[in-house]
Parts: sequence; structure tokens; C-alpha cells
Amino acid sequence: MGVLPAFRLHRPTTLAQALELVNDDRMPYAGGTELLLAMKEGLLRPTHLVDLKGIGSLRDVRESGSGVSIGALVTHTQAADHPIVVDRLAGLAAVLNRVGNPRVRATGTLAGNLCFAEPRSDVAAALIALGGEVEIASAEGRRAMAVEDFVIGPYTTALEQGELVTGILVPVQPDLRFAYLKHQTTERPTLGVAAAANSHCSLVVGAVGFAPQVFRSPSPSDLDPSAIADRVEVVPDLTGSEEYKRHLVEVYVRRAVAALGGRR
Amino acid sequence: MIGLDTVEIAPRINGRETVLEVPVRMTLAEMLRDRLGLYGVKVSCEMQVCGVCTVLVDGQPVSSCTFLAADTDGRRVLTVEGLAEGDRLHPIQQAFVDRFALQCGFCTPGFIMMTKHLLERSPLPDREEIVEHFDGNLCRCTGYAPIIEAVQDAAGRLGRRGS
Amino acid sequence: MRYPTRLDAVPKVTGKARYAVDFAAHGMLFSALVRSERGHAILGGVDAEAALSVKGVVAVITGEDLAPLFPRYGHIVADHPILAIGKVRYLGEPVALVVAEDRYSAHDGAEAVEVLYQDLPTVMNPDQALADGAPLLHTTDYGVGDRSFSEAHSEPRSDNVCHRVDLHWGDVEQAMSRADHVVETSTSYPMLYGYAMEPYNALAHFEDGYLKVITTAQHPFMVRDDLARVFSLPLSHVRVTSPYVGGGYGTKSYTKVEPLAAVGAWYTGRPVKVEFDATGSILTTRADSARVTIRSGFSSDGRLLARDVDLILDTGAYADNGPLVLSKASNRSFGPYRNPNVRVRGRAVYTNTVPSSSYRGFGAPQVSLASELNMDQAAEVLRIDPGELRRRNLIPPGERHYPGKRPMDADLAADLDLLLEGLGWGKPTPERHGIGFGVTASDAGAFPVSTATVKILPDGSALLSTGSSEMGQGSRTALSLIASRELGIPLERVAISQSDTHATPYERTSGASRTTTLVGLAIQRACLQLLARLEEVAVELKGGPPTEVKAAEGTVVGPWGDLSYGEVVQEWFGGQLGELSATGVVRRAGDLAELPPFWEIGASGVKVRVDPDTGQVFPLRMVTVADVGHAIHPEMLKGQDVGAATQGLGAALFEELVYDGPQLVNPNLVEYRVPRAKDMPGEIVSIVAERGDGVGPYGAKGGGEGTLNPMGAATAAAVARAVGRWPDRLPLTPERVWRLMRESGR
Repeated sequence: MGVLPAFRLHRPTTLAQALELVNDDRMPYAGGTELLLAMKEGLLRPTHLVDLKGIGSLRDVRESGSGVSIGALVTHTQAADHPIVVDRLAGLAAVLNRVGNPRVRATGTLAGNLCFAEPRSDVAAALIALGGEVEIASAEGRRAMAVEDFVIGPYTTALEQGELVTGILVPVQPDLRFAYLKHQTTERPTLGVAAAANSHCSLVVGAVGFAPQVFRSPSPSDLDPSAIADRVEVVPDLTGSEEYKRHLVEVYVRRAVAALGGRR
Repeated sequence: MIGLDTVEIAPRINGRETVLEVPVRMTLAEMLRDRLGLYGVKVSCEMQVCGVCTVLVDGQPVSSCTFLAADTDGRRVLTVEGLAEGDRLHPIQQAFVDRFALQCGFCTPGFIMMTKHLLERSPLPDREEIVEHFDGNLCRCTGYAPIIEAVQDAAGRLGRRGS
Repeated sequence: MRYPTRLDAVPKVTGKARYAVDFAAHGMLFSALVRSERGHAILGGVDAEAALSVKGVVAVITGEDLAPLFPRYGHIVADHPILAIGKVRYLGEPVALVVAEDRYSAHDGAEAVEVLYQDLPTVMNPDQALADGAPLLHTTDYGVGDRSFSEAHSEPRSDNVCHRVDLHWGDVEQAMSRADHVVETSTSYPMLYGYAMEPYNALAHFEDGYLKVITTAQHPFMVRDDLARVFSLPLSHVRVTSPYVGGGYGTKSYTKVEPLAAVGAWYTGRPVKVEFDATGSILTTRADSARVTIRSGFSSDGRLLARDVDLILDTGAYADNGPLVLSKASNRSFGPYRNPNVRVRGRAVYTNTVPSSSYRGFGAPQVSLASELNMDQAAEVLRIDPGELRRRNLIPPGERHYPGKRPMDADLAADLDLLLEGLGWGKPTPERHGIGFGVTASDAGAFPVSTATVKILPDGSALLSTGSSEMGQGSRTALSLIASRELGIPLERVAISQSDTHATPYERTSGASRTTTLVGLAIQRACLQLLARLEEVAVELKGGPPTEVKAAEGTVVGPWGDLSYGEVVQEWFGGQLGELSATGVVRRAGDLAELPPFWEIGASGVKVRVDPDTGQVFPLRMVTVADVGHAIHPEMLKGQDVGAATQGLGAALFEELVYDGPQLVNPNLVEYRVPRAKDMPGEIVSIVAERGDGVGPYGAKGGGEGTLNPMGAATAAAVARAVGRWPDRLPLTPERVWRLMRESGR
């Protein structure tokens, strides 16, 4: 049996306390599904964990303007089961219900998923296609940033020193068609393609590269699967060579377009 | 801002109030096994994919191998040891026995706890739903077919008991 | 007939079943390993100073500290150091054992140990290892381990060949020259990890002058032998116990971590627990990968004239069971066919990789991939249905296909017919669908030595004692059923104790599918002796002609009336006390003089669909046939068979350990994928053929492994029929199948 490396635990009960605590060496900790695993593997060795779970204000799912705000402590299961999400963001709920496995979903949070920036994240690809934003707080105040700009590379986000993600804002677009298709023959997807369309179309190619890649067009039919397959950045690994993964991208982009009712 | 090295926690484990002081680096699996002798909690892959360490915390399934013991303060923890009432097996356990849904048995507590969670959410799951629910549970002995049968059998038994 | 539920089921569903990993001892120390970070290097030194200053650390033990002991193990060639001595031969090899008061201190201590290495060139695969001038892993000779493996040798080496097999009869070249068709097939079988879910672990301590070890081992008696040699103890002074084993499949055959725990206990004088994680277990034992080329000569009417096999196993850094795996792979490489001319050249090669040892199938899956695909490809060339081609060549019951070995004790053609019917072979399949199947016969049962004791207690209940292990295969239930049937007493009144080298009689192994057959036979013999003893005692007590006194169904009946077994015991001893016992012995004699004790048949197949866009393979139907002579418990047998076939499917579709230089890329269960519920076909059919043709109780013979052996070839053939091109390697990942489709243009 493996063992977690030594660390010290902090348990702030307000956001202000938490913001005072976090820095490069003191990592925020919520669900821990990625973090504790990486620590047990010896890949991450924070000397302090700042447990955010005592901050009640980060637990809410609520309607916010024309969107839905999902607090940083909301787990995949809680979000997928929440009546507001089920009602307003059914496509997202469907994606969340297929993340990892039931234990990962019951413990892991959406915000944690984005902050860890695992390149093969289903959630990041889906949220980018849906136009999601990350709500960020720091001692200086609050800001919001598109998920697309937040996830900048493998295990790398645009979050700055002293900042914390407090939630995710997902716009609700009543006439939106949405699809998320993944090719998964191992523990994590080889490829995930998220596509959303109403008056315009966003297609996100996830998992094959270092970060999700976005392609926009007026409508799904305008997307060219083979051109996208040529253009995406692809990282070969045990699940496929570059050539095969480009082929998969073409297949799945075509399937996603078809799922949105496009013609190609 | 030194932070905590150990914490005192008061979880309710298999229905019993328990007070323990644990190092913050102690996992829930270590606490249940090393401290409380609940050896029905097994550990294998330690990457949340095999499911043998599954316990329910406030009714939700967690991988106790990568879950801090410190996070169970004030919460309900249910392990496979908490299912039977005396010598009377829980209907899920009885279904696993009757359907030969185990061989070496190392994965069995995890499958049983996951089944409990599934049947609470979805009392009559079809094969597809069961298979999807077990995407994070490995069995190396049975080929899964008898486990799936046992879940359906247990759903029937629980349905009859409930009505 | 309704068969009883498993005797171990209730403990296992309630969490009360105890596995080795669940044992602790008073004053027990925990441990963590420092593993080699190099593939091949001279050990320059181990600096333990910082580790020893970590609070709670009691000792840091290295190979040098073991000088007073025999510091190696290995039941065939004793080449495997407990902790590296002088050099390391693979990345992940144990270098130092850190022993501490708790698991956290042990972990922190291990992280603080500094190891100096001087790198040596590595050989990472058999090609590199066999190249001229390749660096040698081993140059010295070692003690030969178990002398019952007569091929074992141990001399100074001039190459990296760990073991060689040359097997032949007839005249292969001459037969090939007469053949109408010669068909050649080359395949690669992947490097696998057997993944028993309970990781390797052991608890050792010295007590009363005995070394006592609780471990997750299939063969405690063989572990005992290795440990006795390490500490120069009489065999009698080593007690090895295996409680419930959390998965075996051959991966827990032979010695693994027991010497580590034992030297920890020896060094510190306290009980020491060694508990690996999954990655540590992957770095302990894997299964051999194999490259096999098979050439077969056929007459135009489809008669097999000759087979010529070249086989190379990558056996890793230490011999472990590699020589025996090679020997078995060779025996299993030419198929269960009538064949007058056979030549097999096999080599097991040392490389700087994790040592390989046995894993379910034991060489058979590796070679059957080539030999069964070769039959399919020959059928294509000969324009004969592949089922029919096999039927024309399968060895008939009672005939020998391997000179000097037991004649075939199975009806293979009948098994094949059952299999093909179950698969719907011959019916049209939709586009991109394919059916594949295979038939194999393994020389199973190992060396036939078993001993079992049966006692009748004064209340008439019975206690069995056997050295065999319960690792999920159901030995506890099957053996108890045999005793219950022989003694004629209810199963509820039969108890069993297992796998303890002090408390239970000798058992060679719990492997090679031998337990029901050979231990079953030992129990059956013990029961017969015990019944005779009950009769004898009854005659002594009550008189009457011995021919008119009969013990059966729980009662001894004589001219004077009935006595229960319990009453016989009580009257003879004079109260509620005493016991009568008998020991059944199985040796290589009589019915078992000829090896193997039985041929283990593999007959299984699969129907698949291939996604034309992605190459992903979806198994739709899996069929297994168990040719076991007699099924003691059909439900448990089917469970074994389906489980074995599932492991075969894993190797066929997903599993492969991959090296990048000296580094294993996927030593974890996230990147090494084993089959999940989702991967399984919706239709699974498990057929049991009972023809009473085995040497075991009621005509039983072994099962539970055979169905794995043809699965690789069956899956490859099914995919080939779906995509129009023959694969030459496993696993059939989506990309590989996609490439086959591109090559075939389909």
C-alpha cells in the first residue's frame, strides 16, 4: 500500500481566510480526486493543503443572470443531479454523468477538474463549447475568465498566485444544440469532441492535444472535419499514434456534426 | 499559519460514533484497516479505478485509498461490515452468495458497496446501467456476468422487501 | 440438481474473510522498499544515514547485510537476490528495505535513502539480448533450486539465454519437402501483468526458533523450501501459511516478497510486514512476452505433416519460473493434432526487464496465438473450413500426439463441435462481424504429488486437511464436496483447513489446474481408508464377519445393527473424545505414472463486431467449453472458465506492458487496462462436457485455465474475418485494427 507524503492541513471557513493562505506551496484542496492521487504517486508534493470544504458559500448551484453558477465545491454528481442543471443544462449534466466513475464524480468537483487541467478532461471541453466562464477571487477582488482562456496547457491554468476559483458560470441558451462524443478505450478518453450550436457553432477537440482546441463556424455544416483533423495539435501516446489520432478527430468531428443535425 | 499535522475527528462508522485522532496524511482506508480493524475495506490499484476500497460516506461512494480520514469528521461512513444484521445477510450480500458472484473475493466488498449505492439511486437498473455504474470496479476472476446477475437479483429482493 | 453455494461466500461478502494483507502482529514493523532507478548498473553504494535519522525508522537493510545468509532464491535457478547484491538488473529491483514503526516513517525513510549507480548498457528485448557482444546480465553460476526440474542447469554464462529447449521427433525437413502446402505464421504475444487484486505482501517473524510467514502465496510449501535455504533452517522450522489468497492465476506461484519480510524480521528481531502497492507488484512479476514462428506442412487434403516451431520468450532479469514456462510453451506449441514430425526450438532470454514467471496458461496463450492462427491461415490456403481442418487433424481419444506422454484423455472433435455450435459458426455474419475459435491441449496437473488427511470426530463430523490454497478457484468447496460425497455425510458437517506448512499435509502446488483432480484424489483415497478403518474398528468393537460390515452414508452397518460414525469413534475411545484419521497420498505411480496427469483442454471462441471508422473491437458473444471429465460443481467451474476466457480477452484486446528504454511506461492500472464489465460481450455461453475420462474423482480432470489459451488466437481470427487481414500481434488495439483495415482496403 502506498502512503501520502507528509503535509499540513489548513481549514479556512471563509473565502478571505482561504485567500490569505494559498500560495505556490499551499495548494487548494477540495475533492482531492486528482490531487491526492498525484501526491500518492509522488508527482505532487505540496507541503500544505488548504481545504476549501469549510467555505459554505462555495457550495451553491444557482441561477445567475442568464446562466447557471456552479460553486467551486460542487461535485460532478451534485451538479448533474441538481434540478437547475438538469433543467437548464441537460447536455452538461449528461457529460458530468460520464466523467470518470461514480466515485470520482461523487468526490471530484468541476472547479477542481478545471484547475488540475488534466489534458484529457471531459469537463473542460464541454464547458468551453458551452461558453463557460471561471469565476476567480483574490485579495484584490474578483474577475471572470472564459474557460477557454483559463486552461492553457497540460496541468497549467491562467490562475495567478493568490487567486482561487470560486465557481463556474455556464450561460443558458435555450435553443442550443449540444453534443459530447468521446472515444475511450482506456481509463481516460483518447479523444473528446464537444460541439454546441445555435446561431453560431463552437466545436472543441479535447484529450488529443495538450489542451482543448476550439473551432468556430456559423453552423455545424460549415465545419470541415478533415481540415480540423489536419490542424489540431496531437500528442501521441499508448492510445494512438499521431496519424491515428488525427483520423479519430476526423471521424468524431463528423459524428458530432451529424449529432447536431449538420449535413457533412 | 502552521497548519494541522493531526486532527481529531468524530465520524459515525457503521452506525457507531467514533472519536479518533489521526494524522492528516492518513487515508480513510488506512484508518478503517489499521485503526479500526475493518479489514473488509481492501486496497489495490490506489488510483480510483479498481473500486476495492469503496466505502460510502454520507451515502456517496468514495475511494477510501485516496480520501483523507480527516474529511470524515461528523460524517457517516458505511463499510461492508455494516450491512448484515447479525447473522442475517443484507439482500445484496445474499444475492452475491446465491449467484456465485465472487471467486477470490478481494473485489467483493467494493462491488457490494457500489451496488448499494446504485440500488438506492436506481432500484431496477438494466444491464447497461449496471455496467456503466461499474466502470470503476474491476474483478479479475468472474468475467462480471454473475456480478451483474447478482445486482439484478438483489434489486428484485429489495423491491419485494420494500413493497 | 441444485449445487451448494460456495463455502467461502459468506465470509467474503461480509468482509470477514482474512487475506494475508489483513494480518498484523504485536510489535509489528512496517516497511518500504527502495527500488532501483536504473535498468542495469553497478551498485556504487547505499547511503542510509538520512533515512536512519527519520523518526520511526528502525533499520535500512541492503544486500550487503545479508552476507551471513544465503541471499538469493529461485526454485529452478537460485539467481534472484532478495536485495540487489553488487548490481541491479532491472528498473524497480529491490535495493534496500526500510523498516519502521509505522507505514509513514517507512515511506519517508525510503525516500531519504540515496543510492549510487554506475550505469551499464542494457538489453531491453531478446533481439538486443541475443546480439553479438551484448552485455551479460548473469555471468556467475548459482545453485540449482528444485531438482525435480531435471532440465535445470547453472553454469557460468557466455550469453543471455536463460534456458533452451530442443524438442523433435520424425523428420521435419523431409516432411516439409513432401508437403503440398507449407504455411508459415509469425506472431508476437504481449508482455502481461496478471493483476491479482491483492498485491504481494507478507508478514514474517521468528518465534520459538521457527520462522513464521503469513503470505499471499499459492504454493506455501515451495516458499518454505526457498526460505529454509536462505536461513539454513530445517524445512520443519519454517511455517508458511496462506490464508484466503486475493487472486492468484499463477502470479502468486513461487516465492515473491516472503524473503524480504523474513530478512526484515531476522535483522530487527521483530515481526515485519511487507506490503506492496499495485505498481510494486507489477515491478515484481510479469508474464513472458513471446515471439513465435510456426511453419506447418499439409497434404492437399488437409492432413498435417509437420510443424516446425521457433519460440523466444522474454523472461526478464531473473530466471524465476522462466525455464519451466519455456518448457511448457514448447510442449504446447504444436497443438493437439496428430503430427508425425515436430521440431521446436525454444529459448528463454534474460533482459533488463521485470522478471517474468508463471501466469494462467503458462506459455500456452503465447504459443497458441501462432499455432491456432496458423491452422486458420492454412484452412484459407487449403480452401477447407477451419473447423473441418482441425477435425481432420485433432488427436482422437486414447491416441498419443506427444511421444512418451499420456494418450489424449479427451474427445477434442466433440468439444470443437460444441464450440462451433455455440458460436453459430457457418451461419452468415453481418458486415464487419467475425467469429474466431481455437482448440488447445496443455500438459497440466504439474508433478502429481498430493497428500490430504481426513478425520472423523466423535460427533461424526469430518475435518479435512490439505496444503492446497483457496485463491478463488473454489478448492474449499470442491474438496469438501468430494469428502461429503465419499463419506456420505452432509456438507454442513465437513470442515476444511488449508495451506499451512506446519498444520496441513504436503501439497506440491495449487496451480496447473490440478487441485480438484489430484487433491481430490488424495481426499478420496483418505476417505476410502477412513471408511475401511471405521469398519475395522466396528468389527473390533462388535464382532461379525468383516465382509458383512459396511461403512457408508454416515453409518456403519453390520449384522449387529447400525452405528453412526461418531458412535464408532466414541465407543472405541470410550467417551466423547478421540478421532479416527486417514491420509491419502498421490504420487507419480499407477494411474498417474504417465505424465501429464491429464491434458487440460481449451476450447473457446468469440464473435466480434469492428467499428469500421475507429477499429474498435466489440466482443458480442463468447463461448467456452469445459472438457473436464466430471464437474464436481458445474456452477463454480463455469465461473472459472468464463473468468479465464475474460483474461484471454484482456490480452487479446487491451493489455500490454510497454517499455521505453529501461522504463516501464505503464506500471499502473490506469494505463495498463484490464477488462471491465463494459468490455464484456452481452452473450456468454459456458458449456460443460462430462465424459468421465479423467484420472480424478468420478472421472474428473482439471479445468479453469484452458479456456484462456485459445482466446488470443480466437479473437485475432475473429477480427481477421471481420476486416480481411490477419493480425500478427496482440493486443488488437483500435489503432492496430484500423491499420489492418487500411491494409486490406476493406
